[in-house]
Amino acid sequence: MAILEVENLTKRFGGLTAVNNLTFHVDKGEILAVIGPNGAGKSTLFNLITSYNRPTSGKIIFEGEDITGMPTHKIAKLGIIRTFQETTVFKEMDVFHNVQVANHLHFKSNDLEEFFNSPRAKADHLEVERRTRELLNYFGIEQYKDEIASNLPHGHLRALEMAIAMSADPKLALLDEPFTGMNAEETDRAMEMVRGIRDQKGVTVILVEHDMRAVMRISDRIVVMNFGEKIAEGKPAEIQQNEAVIEAYLGKEEEGELEDVL
Amino acid sequence: MVIQMILNGLMLGLSYALIALGLTLIFAIMNILNFAHGQMYMLGGFVVYYFYYVFGLNYFFALFMCIPTLALIGVIFEKFFFRRVLTLGRREESSMLLAMGTALLLENIALIAFGYKEQGVPPLIHGVIKIFGGYLPADRAFIILMSVLLIIGLLVFIYKTRPGRALRALAQDKEVTYLMGVDVNKITMLGFAVGAALAGLAGGLLALTFPIFSGSGTPITIKSFLMIMIGGAGVVPGAIIGGFLLGMVESFGYGLISGSMTYLIIFAMIILLLIFRPQGIMGKPWG
Amino acid sequence: MNQKNYARIVLVATLLFIYLIVLPIIFRNQRYLLNIVITASLLSCASLGVWITFSIGRINIGQGAFAGIGGYTTAILIMKAGFSFWQSFLLAGLLAALIGFLFGLVILRLKGVYFAMLTLSLTETFRLIFLNAEGLTNGGNGIMGIPRPGALSIAGITIIPNFGRSNIFFYYLSATILIIVFLAVWRLYKSRIGWIFKAIRISEDLTRSCGINIVKYRIMAYSICCFLGGIAGSLFTVFYQNIFPASFQVNDSVYFMLYCFLGGLDYLAGPILGAFVLTGAFEVLRFIQKYQEGIYACIMIALMLWLPNGLMSLNLGKVFGKRKEKELETTEADKLLKSYNPDSGRKSLKKEG
Ligand SMILES: Nc1ncnc2c1ncn2[C@@H]1O[C@H](COP(=O)(O)OP(=O)(O)O)[C@@H](O)[C@H]1O
Ligand SMILES: [Mg+2]
Repeated sequence: MAILEVENLTKRFGGLTAVNNLTFHVDKGEILAVIGPNGAGKSTLFNLITSYNRPTSGKIIFEGEDITGMPTHKIAKLGIIRTFQETTVFKEMDVFHNVQVANHLHFKSNDLEEFFNSPRAKADHLEVERRTRELLNYFGIEQYKDEIASNLPHGHLRALEMAIAMSADPKLALLDEPFTGMNAEETDRAMEMVRGIRDQKGVTVILVEHDMRAVMRISDRIVVMNFGEKIAEGKPAEIQQNEAVIEAYLGKEEEGELEDVL
Repeated sequence: MVIQMILNGLMLGLSYALIALGLTLIFAIMNILNFAHGQMYMLGGFVVYYFYYVFGLNYFFALFMCIPTLALIGVIFEKFFFRRVLTLGRREESSMLLAMGTALLLENIALIAFGYKEQGVPPLIHGVIKIFGGYLPADRAFIILMSVLLIIGLLVFIYKTRPGRALRALAQDKEVTYLMGVDVNKITMLGFAVGAALAGLAGGLLALTFPIFSGSGTPITIKSFLMIMIGGAGVVPGAIIGGFLLGMVESFGYGLISGSMTYLIIFAMIILLLIFRPQGIMGKPWG
Repeated sequence: MNQKNYARIVLVATLLFIYLIVLPIIFRNQRYLLNIVITASLLSCASLGVWITFSIGRINIGQGAFAGIGGYTTAILIMKAGFSFWQSFLLAGLLAALIGFLFGLVILRLKGVYFAMLTLSLTETFRLIFLNAEGLTNGGNGIMGIPRPGALSIAGITIIPNFGRSNIFFYYLSATILIIVFLAVWRLYKSRIGWIFKAIRISEDLTRSCGINIVKYRIMAYSICCFLGGIAGSLFTVFYQNIFPASFQVNDSVYFMLYCFLGGLDYLAGPILGAFVLTGAFEVLRFIQKYQEGIYACIMIALMLWLPNGLMSLNLGKVFGKRKEKELETTEADKLLKSYNPDSGRKSLKKEG
């Protein structure tokens, strides 16, 4: 069953068409990879789904509801959370607060109750603290909880980013290049993490990634984009044989990774 | 009446464009809002006042002296203040407060040195030109001509010369400019100097028709902010358009309604403009 | 940890003791000196508002406008509509907050210098409005002869008696309001709302993606700021008993920022410390009044060059515990300094490329 359907999605920036008439879906519990050369429009796609940009035309349907152009925070509330290509955490806050802030949706009390520290607000805080410890533990960064986020090493920063994303208990997570800047070993660990959130937390995942080895191993299905258009879609094995995909990648010299795999 | 307002607007608009160009240049290369821009304009007026009127020297020499004087102030500000703060600064606010500090400092120095009194200089060219029933004092015609020449000169400098291209590259991408082998510090300093000199030249030009006094800086600073908000901050054509538009609207407003009402309407229009185009008319979309 | 808390309690108690008991006793017969402390208290109030907008990452040079709105509301309600000070005081704050809310809907979309420029223009805009709305504001002549606050009674019970022209009364009024405002803002920053403000400053994009309605919280912060500007302006107006379009200008808006910086943007007590230090220092140096702006200017420049994190980052910082962030800043600054140095810069760039 499709959890997210993207229909004829188009985004133009002035003269440039970053996403062109794109249609695809992702099923519940799937890990879908979106690949394509730099500038293919992958990040823009994420921006459209989460309403950081407004589509020029087309529709985005989440669990049967049209969410096109809905404010980002409402989309998050419905259950779609994204990460950013440039690792983004609350740099100047400590790790614990990073995750606490991200748990916003689990606070039931309103702002006035919070200001006056009502019993309900207190209960919320206890619950969120518990959740925060659990998340930090799950992603293996509980020993850094008092550390200022920007002091964390890269690998842990990624883990914190994931913890932030998972704080909202999303149904669908959009991960933008989660394995970038990682060595093979770190990538393996991060892949375990991504599989984990699917298998244990039941989160559907769309991920954008350049590391083809990782993509081929982790994804159930792949959508290939070039110049904003979908040029192929299928199982990893099918994609590796696809002429159009090979051409798109060979056309770009700096994108050597797929060749290695093929 | 309309012709008269257009003539006044032409003079204001073109000299304002000159002011806005200096401000936008500094903003583009350093991401600094030069709060002292109006004070630099004011100092330009005093340079002309002293060289031209008090010392009785040639006007063109006096006007030329605005360039080294203000460029020197710009270089000092850049080298000793802004460079350090930009390097250290964790927050954007720091450079802004610094810029405000330099503005206050210049204004207070001017106040101590020149007092509150409004000064003026004798006209450079006597006579009035009559155009389509409107009157244009020869001095104002001269200001129009000089503003156009200076704007063209600046555009040639920015688009056709080596240092000008380095400036533009710097505005685009600092790191790449650095890798191209450009001495970033030197070019940044040059940009600040040119920006300051432009403010000074505008002050020196308008000294011919407007009073010169130590308090004239802040209103010009605010006006120059309005110009780059209208046109788009950091964009050369935006500065010209913004300056020109503001000058025209100001001239028509002063002719038809009161001055303070005019600015009230201008502020309201700018807020409206920014609702629909936060980046100004020519600015690139951001954020 | 306990020791630090203890030190903090002792410090706060001492400061309160000085503020509420020692100063009024020493200055009770020196109207002028008492007025200085009153002024500093009111300036602190408005600056705390500016500090809140800083905390959501906006540079607000528009607080003067809202002090003006509060001041004129008070003056007009008292002089033309026969309201009591107490009623008009509250209405002044609320009206300022409402106007801030409406402007906030539009201008909070802007960031950085754009927001700064626009708020600066707001200060000018409202000065012009006060100048032009002659029917209400008497234009450039201003409104004068505004009476001092009378008695406050609720349901027939007198809560605050009529103190006439006693300045001690005004001293305690401003002190009480500053303390209430400080406690409220402190509570706000201890609460989740304070975290959200900080999160918005660090990354609006990430904050949104956490399901937080940043528009709502931005406007909340800005409205609170304008409320504080409004009540400060209201108190200033009855304190000086007059108001003119020039009472709150661009320079005042800039000084509100300066107080925040001088104290330290990372510290809630920063704006208060800044306002008291500058107002006090200025009075000590009264004989050089002519150079006031110049001295302020030098302070601003020196501050940015050598103490960008404010006075609180010096010694008080240890008591108020912010050490971790401070360490971080220096390492970050060091990194930047190094990368700016041409040689190491070249290296680091090569590595990336
Ligand atoms: N906000 C924007 N304004 C203008 N152009 C944009 C914007 N965001 C992305 N683009 C352009 O859209 C294209 C696709 O970019 P992006 O989605 O980041 O590609 P990818 O993530 O696949 O590398 C690029 O050419 C980029 O320059
Ligand atoms: Mg991308």
